[in-house]
Amino acid sequence: MDLEMVFLYLSAALAVGIPALATGWAQSRIGPAAAAALAEKPELTVTVVLLIAIPETLAILGFVVAVLILMQGGG
Amino acid sequence: MSRIRILGPRGQLQSVLGCVQDLGLVQLVEPSETESLSLLGLTPEQARHVRGVRKVVKDVDTALELLGQTPSPPKTAKDLDLRRAALVAGRCRRELEGLAEQHQQLEEERALILKFRPFFAAFRKIGESGLDLDGIRVFYLILKKDGEEELRRMRAAFRQALGDGFELLSQPSESGESAMLLAVPAADAMKAEQLLSEAGVQALSLPDQFEEESVGSTIQRMQARLGELPGELATLERQRRRIAEDRGRELAGIQATVRDYLATIEATEKAVVTPRAFVVEGWIPSAARPDLERQLGKSFGDQVEIEAVSSEEWAGDTVPVVLHNPRLFRPFEAITGMMPLPKYGTVDPTPFVAVFFPMFFGIVLGDIGYGTMLGIISLILRIRSKPGAKLRSISEIGLACSLFTIIFGFLYGELFGDLGHRIGLHPLIFNREEAFFPFLGFAIALGVVHIVLGLLVGAVKMFRGDKRRAIGKGMAAMMVVLIALALMAASGMLPERFFTPLVIATLVALPILIVAEGVLAPIELVSTLGNVLSYARIMAVGTASVMMAIVANRMVGAFGAVWVGVLFALVFHLINFVLGVFSPTIHMLRLHYVEFFGKFYSPGGSQYRPFRHWSARESATDERSA
Repeated sequence: MDLEMVFLYLSAALAVGIPALATGWAQSRIGPAAAAALAEKPELTVTVVLLIAIPETLAILGFVVAVLILMQGGG
Repeated sequence: MSRIRILGPRGQLQSVLGCVQDLGLVQLVEPSETESLSLLGLTPEQARHVRGVRKVVKDVDTALELLGQTPSPPKTAKDLDLRRAALVAGRCRRELEGLAEQHQQLEEERALILKFRPFFAAFRKIGESGLDLDGIRVFYLILKKDGEEELRRMRAAFRQALGDGFELLSQPSESGESAMLLAVPAADAMKAEQLLSEAGVQALSLPDQFEEESVGSTIQRMQARLGELPGELATLERQRRRIAEDRGRELAGIQATVRDYLATIEATEKAVVTPRAFVVEGWIPSAARPDLERQLGKSFGDQVEIEAVSSEEWAGDTVPVVLHNPRLFRPFEAITGMMPLPKYGTVDPTPFVAVFFPMFFGIVLGDIGYGTMLGIISLILRIRSKPGAKLRSISEIGLACSLFTIIFGFLYGELFGDLGHRIGLHPLIFNREEAFFPFLGFAIALGVVHIVLGLLVGAVKMFRGDKRRAIGKGMAAMMVVLIALALMAASGMLPERFFTPLVIATLVALPILIVAEGVLAPIELVSTLGNVLSYARIMAVGTASVMMAIVANRMVGAFGAVWVGVLFALVFHLINFVLGVFSPTIHMLRLHYVEFFGKFYSPGGSQYRPFRHWSARESATDERSA
């Protein structure tokens, strides 16, 4: 495997990995606050689901970019 | 929704209200026009009576809540005997509250003794060591995990202050903390307390009943109590069940009758009167008005009149909202209902949800095998659920989702992942294992359609009021389409000659958008394009699902013995099925609530609560949605 392919796979891994970590970090902050809010106000369930789902866009877009890198690079 | 005014002779007020309550169609409100009329207030005696009724309602509600279950009330409603109702409700509430209090005390005692459990071994050691504990003060301590260093420091501090005149026993507990028992001469108790406080170690206090006892007997009493407590708790539970059996149905009956009675009193308070006539006003779904007119006409002839209140007399925000959809779409009101109700006169998104939610779900999961499994589970749930129950709606949504999953399973040629390809199923549109780009393009195209539809719905609804903003929304929708087409031309999916005209058209549309929606409109447009990109999750989650299924199938040949592989594959498919149902649900909800609803949805409607006979289930639903 030549160096170009190594960088290609590395780029794809970083493209999906870093946003996934960021998503995980964001959700780790939202989760406890959401759990506490739900204990007080169970009617906030939908808002909580949305708040937790919002950072997932980062990981999804990261995944799309990774796929684009792999497909464009012929990996 | 129509606002109506019911007029009639004052003497007929109670009978008319009774008839309206039987029909259960009108949400009563205070009349908008009260000149020359006065609210039918209560005399001091009536007010006292109402307070009494409210107390019975409170007693019976508390009693039924403490029973933990709501038995169904007797089928034939009895006439209200308020005196007996008050007596039964009050007595049951007091008995049940007493039982609940005792139950709580016993639970607290058990929790406290369990805290001391780690000390039991230490106590035994003291007994074995033959320590004379007369004139000795004992402290019970908990030392946090990895506290050896702290224990060493504490021991040194005590040795320095008290010499050998103390005993410190420690016993590690299951949680990793150490239970400690400190025994010092009673004369040194103050000094020991001060040392403990300096070391930041808190002493546990003994339950009241053990405080005066010697150390030796304390452990025996505690162990004995631990043995006795389950029996005492079971006795309390038996007493509660006996009350539930003896009085449960009667209490449920009282609750229904008294709440009905209270509703009638509250309705009466909303009526306005002259010396001879009464007027009540309320909201009624327009389609139901003929029913009310027919029923009142049949019961009261032309003595009672119904007239429409002109829309100039009421503001739009006060109109209650009721979602009304065709039978096929109705289960999806459960999804819309998780959001605050839409304002009156705005768009109910349920029909759109009913079309797009199961379709997107099917596009993501897209597998004949998983679709069939989901269909069977949904069917079982549907058979087991009662009509109108939330579970019934969920099961019907599940059925719609399973149908789309099977349809897209055929289109992708998938049956439990690539098993379909092995038995001769061929993809009719694309193979999700390999066709990442077509799947991504498909997902984004769905995003364009969904978002543009949302913008257009918003524009159409807004056109009656704010025409300028409606044009802005329409322009935003057009620009999303133009940009999408320009990107397609740039990537070769459309003839390249379209690219320049599309870019020019986009540039021409931009100033119109800014004029219509303001200078922040371009930022809003970028956000809308971000919303479109968010639909890439349809491809991402779908690809993850199919890859998991393929991995499950490959397990068959990966473990030497075939049966081990098959077992692993089945378990993995089961996990993938659970994830495959849960994940698209959450993501599709998000796409609807955030991306789609954000383009036109106006929350803030108030729930339509007609004046009708009370029922426990409807009351619970109302409280949840309030």
